[in-house]
Amino acid sequence: MLSFIVRRLIQSFVVLLIIIVITFSLPYLEPKGIYAPAYLALGTRATPMMVQAWGVAHGMDHPYLWRLGSYMWGLFTHFNLGYSFQAGRPVMGILRLYVPRTIWLALVSLILTCLIAVPLGIFQAQRRNTAFDYSATGVAFVLYAMPSFLLCSLVLDAFGFRAPHLPISPPSGVAPWLIFQDPKAFIMPVGCLVLLSVAGLSRFMRGTVLEVLVQDYVRTAKAKGCSSRRVLFKHAFRNAMGPIVTILGLSIPGLLGGALIIEDVFNYGGLGVETVNAALSSDVYVVLGITLLVSILTLLGNLLADVALGIVNPRIRIEGVTR
Amino acid sequence: MTVVTDLAAPAVAVAEPTPMWRQRARIFFSNKLATVSVIFLLVIIFGCYVVPLFYSTNQSNAALALMTPFNQAPSAAHWLGTDSSGYDELGRIFYGGGYSLTLGILAGFITIVVGTLYGMISGFFGGFTDTVMMRVLDAFLSIPYLFFLITLVSIFGRSTTFLIVVIGLTGWWGNARIIRGDAMLIRGLEYSQASKAMGGSKWHIIRRHVFPNSISNIVTVATFSVADAILFLSALGFLGLGIKLPETDWGTMLQSGTTALQSANYWWEVYPLAIVFILVVVAINYIGDALRDAFEVRLVER
Repeated sequence: MLSFIVRRLIQSFVVLLIIIVITFSLPYLEPKGIYAPAYLALGTRATPMMVQAWGVAHGMDHPYLWRLGSYMWGLFTHFNLGYSFQAGRPVMGILRLYVPRTIWLALVSLILTCLIAVPLGIFQAQRRNTAFDYSATGVAFVLYAMPSFLLCSLVLDAFGFRAPHLPISPPSGVAPWLIFQDPKAFIMPVGCLVLLSVAGLSRFMRGTVLEVLVQDYVRTAKAKGCSSRRVLFKHAFRNAMGPIVTILGLSIPGLLGGALIIEDVFNYGGLGVETVNAALSSDVYVVLGITLLVSILTLLGNLLADVALGIVNPRIRIEGVTR
Repeated sequence: MTVVTDLAAPAVAVAEPTPMWRQRARIFFSNKLATVSVIFLLVIIFGCYVVPLFYSTNQSNAALALMTPFNQAPSAAHWLGTDSSGYDELGRIFYGGGYSLTLGILAGFITIVVGTLYGMISGFFGGFTDTVMMRVLDAFLSIPYLFFLITLVSIFGRSTTFLIVVIGLTGWWGNARIIRGDAMLIRGLEYSQASKAMGGSKWHIIRRHVFPNSISNIVTVATFSVADAILFLSALGFLGLGIKLPETDWGTMLQSGTTALQSANYWWEVYPLAIVFILVVVAINYIGDALRDAFEVRLVER
C-alpha cells in the first residue's frame, strides 16, 4: 500500500510540474507580448519605452528558464501564485478568502451528492425497468442534457423570484462556515450543484450495480441462501464501490467547473466569480493563479480517490493496478 | 479449360452484396429518434443559415433595434417579441444560432483532427513516446476545463476566430484518449502485423490500416465533440466571455434573457431559445449514439 501511494505521489508530482510549465508559459503566447501586463499597471497610453522599463523592473527580461525556475521556487517555498499587476498585490492575498469558500461549496455538494446518488442508483438497479426506474432515468437525462447555467438560472428564477421564499444569494465576503448561521441562503447554490452531479453519478451507480449483480459471486451468495438485502449490501455494494470511487475522483474537475457556474449565477464570492471578473478585466495573472490552484486541488482530489480506492479494493494494494 | 471458365462464372448467380455505406445508413435510419434528430437539425440549420436571408427584421442592425420598443411581448410584427435591446427575438435566435453552430462545428472539427493525430501517434508508437504524451495529457486533464478555457480567452481575447481556435485546441484531450486506445488495439491485430512483416512503413500502416479501422470511433467522437463545443461556447457566452455585441451567440442571449426573466418575467426571451438550444444538443447526441450503433460491425445483418 505504501509503495503504491509513493508511486502515485511521484506521478502526481510530475503531472504538477507539467501543469506549472503550461500555466507559466501561457503569458508568452499573449498577442501583445510578455510585457502586456504593463498596460494594466501603467494605463493603455503607456509608451513602448515605459513598457520596456516596467518589464525590466519586474524582472521580465530574464531568460525563460531562469524565470521558470524562480517562479517554481516561489511556488514551492511560499506558495506564491504570482502577482496581480492590476490590483497591485499578490494573487494569493486576493484569493485567501475565496479558496475556503469554493472548497466548502464543492465539498458539501460532493458529500450530499454521494449520500443521494449512491442509494438512488442502488435502488434503481434493484428495481430496474419499473416505473420508478424509468422516471428517475428520464429526469436524470433531462438534467444531463441541460446546460448547467440554464438549469441554475431557472431554479433561481423559480425559487428566488417567482415565489420569493429563498434568499437569492449567500452572504459574500465572510468565512464559509457561516453556513451554520444562515443555512437558508445556501440551499439554492448547494442544491443546484448537487442536482447537476447527482444526474451523472446515479446513472453510473445504477450501471455498476447492475453489472455486479450478474457476477458469479452474487449468484453464489444467493444460492447459499443470503437474503436479498444481505446480497445487495454485503456482496454487491462492496464490489461496486471501486468504480464509484474512481469516477468520484475523475469528476472533481467537472465539479469545480460546475461550482464556477453556480458561483456566477448565485453571486457566491469564490474562485469562480473571481476568475470571471479577472478575465473580464484581462487580469491574466489572477486567472492563471486560480487555474493553477484548482489544478492542484484536482490533483489532491485524485490522489485521495486513489488512496480510497486502495482501501476499498485490496487487489490494487497488492498489484498496484489503477483503472 | 472448361473447368476454369466454370469457376470464373458459377452457375448460381451470387447476389451483389449491399454496399457498406448503405447497410450503415439502413441501421442509422432504423433508429427513429436519430432520424427525427437529423430532420430537426436540418430544419435548424436551414433556419440559421437560410432564413435570415429573407426573414430580415432588425436582428443584426443595432440602429434599427434602438428604435424598436424594448422587451415587447410576442405580436404579429415580432413573433417572439423583442429583447432588452430591441432586437427581434426570433430573428436573433437564428442569427445567434448561426454563430453558435458555425463555431461549434469548426471547433469540434479542430478537436477531432488534433485529437486523432495525437491519439494515433501516441497509441501507435507506444513505449517512451506514449508515456511522455500521456503524462502531458494527464496534466491537461487535471486542469479543470472551464478554468483553462477562461484563461485562454483572457489571454487571446474574444474574436470569433480566437474562440474557435481556443475551444478547438483545448477540447481534444478526451478524444485523444479514445483514439489512442483504438490505435493500440489495431496495431496488435493480424492485418497490421502482416503489413509490418511485408515491410510496410509505420506511416503506411497508420494510413492504410489504423486510420480506416478507427474511422467509426472518430466519426462518433466528432459528433459528441460538436455538441460539447456548442455547450462550452454557450457557457463562455453566459459568463459574459462570449462573442462581443452586436454579434451574439446562444449563450450570450440566454444570459441576458435570464436576467430579463428574473427582473420582469419576460418569458419569451428565455424559453423559446432554451428549448431550441436543449433540443439541438440532445439531437446531436442522439445522432452520435445512432452513428455508434451503425458502425458497430456486429450489428450488421448479413
